[in-house]
Amino acid sequence: MQENRQAAMNRRKFLGAFGGASATAVAAAAVTLAPDEAQAYDPGKEETGTRYQETEHVKAFYRVNGYETLKK
Amino acid sequence: MARMKFLCDADRCIECNACVTACKNEHDVPWGINRRRVVTINDGKPGERSVSMACMHCTDAPCAAVCPVDCFYTTADAVVLHSKDLCIGCGYCFYACPFGAPQYPRVSNFGSRGKMDKCTFCAAGPEADSTEIEYAKYGANRLAEGKLPLCAEMCSTKSLLAGDGEIIAAIYKERVTQRGYGSGAWGWQTAYRETITV
Repeated sequence: MQENRQAAMNRRKFLGAFGGASATAVAAAAVTLAPDEAQAYDPGKEETGTRYQETEHVKAFYRVNGYETLKK
Repeated sequence: MARMKFLCDADRCIECNACVTACKNEHDVPWGINRRRVVTINDGKPGERSVSMACMHCTDAPCAAVCPVDCFYTTADAVVLHSKDLCIGCGYCFYACPFGAPQYPRVSNFGSRGKMDKCTFCAAGPEADSTEIEYAKYGANRLAEGKLPLCAEMCSTKSLLAGDGEIIAAIYKERVTQRGYGSGAWGWQTAYRETITV
């Protein structure tokens, strides 16, 4: 009887210690995984850089569409 | 730096839908998605007016503000683009957009509606320029080729303008100065009598 009680106490100590350690681990993980401030997607300077060029093709578009302006 | 803008001269639009067709063809847009649409008000009545609508590439884009995965970004040309790799197809951008620009390849609720698709101002997406993968996801990258959006270049009545905001605004301003606007425009009173006021 005495032995059984001793075994139960040991088990409780073990579980207590294990539980305590788990809680510490969870807290540590929570600190590590704390979400950063939300940030918009940034594909990098290369892809967000300017693509528009005022080529002859583009100038022709402006010229054709603005022919009323050119009539003057 | 030039800011890319669309401007539809509603006095010139004849609802021919060439812009819609050109867009679908150039980008191989699948069935069920229209990146550009022509909206007509007062259809068949005096004062009927059509306007070609697509993503207007807002300065402070509401789609980008509500996106839960932040998949939108604005380029140096002020074109609003998005990453289909990040998009979860939640549909928030569709509800936020005042122009109804975001489209989805499938019709159903969360997730299963597919990746959002919208007008890219012919500037495609975040993949390397003019590659096969970029074309498959976002369509042609005409801006990188030194061209402008095909919808505007195809417009037979020169209604749809695209390009540097300052230049197209100057072109439109000059048109209004010369011909008037709405019922004051040339031909309106001939077509709809002198009583028309729009």
